[in-house]
Amino acid sequence: MSNIHFPVYILMLLLIFAVTIPLQRKSYGRRFQILMVSVLGIAWIMALLELLMVLWDAPYSYTFGSYPAGIGIEFLVDEFSALMTLIVLTLSLLIIIYSLKDLEHEIESSRMYSYYTLVFLLIFSMIGMIFTNDMFNLYVFMEILSITSVAIIAIKKKKDTLMASMKYLMMGAIGSVTVLMGIALIYMVTGQLNMSAINEEISAVWRLYPRNILLAMGFMITGFSIKAAIFPLHNWLPDAHSTAPTPSSALLSGLVVKAYIFSIAKIMYRVVGKNISVDIGIADYLIIFAVLSMMMGSVFALTQRDIKRRLAYSSVSQIGYIFLGLALASEMGFSAALFHVVSHAFMKSALFLSAGSIIYLTGKRDVKNLDGIGYEMPITMTVFSIGVLGMIGIPGTSGFMSKWYLGLAVLDAGHPELLIVLLLSSFLNALYYLPIIVSAFLRESPGRPLEMHRDGIPGTMKVSMVLVAVGSLVIGLFPHLVMDIIQQAVPTFIGSGMGL
Amino acid sequence: MNFDLSTIANNINYIGAMILFIIGLYTVLTHSNLIKKIIGINIMETSIFLFFVSIGYVKGAVAPIIDPSTGDKVFVNPLPAAMILTGIVVAVSITAFALSIIIKIHEAYGTIDLDEIMKIRSVEEDE
Amino acid sequence: MDDLFVRVITKMILPFIQLYGVYVIIHGHLSPGGGFSGGAIFAASIVLYTLAFGLKPGQKRMPHKVSSKIETGGIIFFILVGFAGIATGYNFLTNQEAGFPMGELGSVFSAGLIPIVTIAIGLKVMSTIITLFHTMLEEEG
Repeated sequence: MSNIHFPVYILMLLLIFAVTIPLQRKSYGRRFQILMVSVLGIAWIMALLELLMVLWDAPYSYTFGSYPAGIGIEFLVDEFSALMTLIVLTLSLLIIIYSLKDLEHEIESSRMYSYYTLVFLLIFSMIGMIFTNDMFNLYVFMEILSITSVAIIAIKKKKDTLMASMKYLMMGAIGSVTVLMGIALIYMVTGQLNMSAINEEISAVWRLYPRNILLAMGFMITGFSIKAAIFPLHNWLPDAHSTAPTPSSALLSGLVVKAYIFSIAKIMYRVVGKNISVDIGIADYLIIFAVLSMMMGSVFALTQRDIKRRLAYSSVSQIGYIFLGLALASEMGFSAALFHVVSHAFMKSALFLSAGSIIYLTGKRDVKNLDGIGYEMPITMTVFSIGVLGMIGIPGTSGFMSKWYLGLAVLDAGHPELLIVLLLSSFLNALYYLPIIVSAFLRESPGRPLEMHRDGIPGTMKVSMVLVAVGSLVIGLFPHLVMDIIQQAVPTFIGSGMGL
Repeated sequence: MNFDLSTIANNINYIGAMILFIIGLYTVLTHSNLIKKIIGINIMETSIFLFFVSIGYVKGAVAPIIDPSTGDKVFVNPLPAAMILTGIVVAVSITAFALSIIIKIHEAYGTIDLDEIMKIRSVEEDE
Repeated sequence: MDDLFVRVITKMILPFIQLYGVYVIIHGHLSPGGGFSGGAIFAASIVLYTLAFGLKPGQKRMPHKVSSKIETGGIIFFILVGFAGIATGYNFLTNQEAGFPMGELGSVFSAGLIPIVTIAIGLKVMSTIITLFHTMLEEEG
């Protein structure tokens, strides 16, 4: 049952559902929840069929309005876009199932409809950003993503949330404007907006305008780095991700930040091309920022006592890993970065969802108060432990596989000193994650006797957390499922247009 | 590079756009009133629109509206103008959203000056 | 505002502003303007009415229920017009091959689906701006 219109069907289904939510007359209840989950389920099935179709046949490009590619907007449907869309929809489905019960504690019931409208628009814009092959279309989807991702934080009207969302909005707006400046500079030189067409033009005119292209790349990478929270532009991330409602934190940390990194990858490799990126010297320069991100993110996480802030700083460090893989400018580095995108999405979502369950049941966010909670909520702490083991890099988890691939890529690119940085950062990860598990399972506290209970949280929350953890384990034990698709997609991604 | 006056006069659009961009960035970073920060972002966006539209200009061409009676002429590039319409709508949405958050901040804190809000927050954290 | 002058002049000038807004929307493919600008001009007339007469009469002019239905209807109409391209075998949002009448160059009923889509965009922008204005005014009181 293959159909080339699947990208459009997925996008339009999500958009139509998102705009009809405000018309619902009955108050928020069971019927709406079932309807929402089934709509997402249909979109998930279509994404799965899309991935199978691309794997069996060939990647294709879908032009809107049947205009030829240089004139109209084009969606490039290749293996990696289909895989990322499937991962986005899988995680969104699980997080929304989690949020059906969790949100009643966090926001008022009159805003539930608005929250789900925003979440559907967020998923819509992320899938659009992944598929698109046109620069200005990328900007439009990025703006929708920027506004909705601030809105799902600000919908919880506490004082901290308002200031955090204001900071995020301001920095996001500066980032968007900077990206638009970069797009204007590239349009000035080449006169095209389609990414593949720009690639051909740039390889022809690069010798004439080196300063212009360098300035354009600088603007665009800076703009996307502000939104992807690379050190030193990461200041908004801890406040925003820790004060948001738990499903929003999981969506933001797991999916939204990755969409921006994927756009940096598209610009460095599909628009400008790998050879020019290396010649200009941007690739080496970015390695410095990636290393700083990895180290400083972990160092700051050591001093945090609130559990969600610790997870948010850990996100900064993990995004440094992905950025390191991108900045190496080799096929192995890029494959390792994409694999870590997938595995970190699952691990960080598992961590945030289980931390949210702990806060749901006990209301305590400080790490010192979690002694003995492993016996009160065994399933939750097991999910948390799986996420932690993946973050540290214990063999058998997906985090270990991504560190392995990244280490191989670092050695292959001729930077053996970065291997020490990788090991040091894993050690720091262990320093601030392991005490939580140790005190949860092995220490006693006066209020909690050491007997096993069943978790006191609703069934939907348990099921979704366990499924996310199972997904992370599956990717860890059978990494070739994901890695094969990535390795099939990478050579066309990097080598397109320059005659490699 | 020879900085004679004709270079500056020919490229005055681009130079003006860059100067506005830097003025906008300075306003966002240094002023403490939240509404002035939003005005700074609007100035930055306006400078980008100016930059974009002046890319499409062709010397000695007419506005890109087809009149079937007269023959073929040289037209100004209409594509940047269409893109800027979308950009203006995006700028309006961001401004509207930021202003609504500021209304809520004013309800919660009683002030919209960033220094005073930081003082109130540090007092609250110490309690 | 309780000024008599403002109220009288608003009542006289309101239809002209709305007519100008509709003109800009319909001639979107022939002259500068289109959906966004025409919708904004049309919305400015209702905002002027609210400013001159107060929040309650303004909300009676364009109640919240009507504007939310116009918003949703605008987007769904756009998407259904786009699906007409898929129904005839081409891609999404196809113009000429999907059978929309092209007409002759320079007349109002030409260029296939562009005037149809422009009207949907104009309606949606108008209802969005009015909803934003009314919501912000409600928060104050």
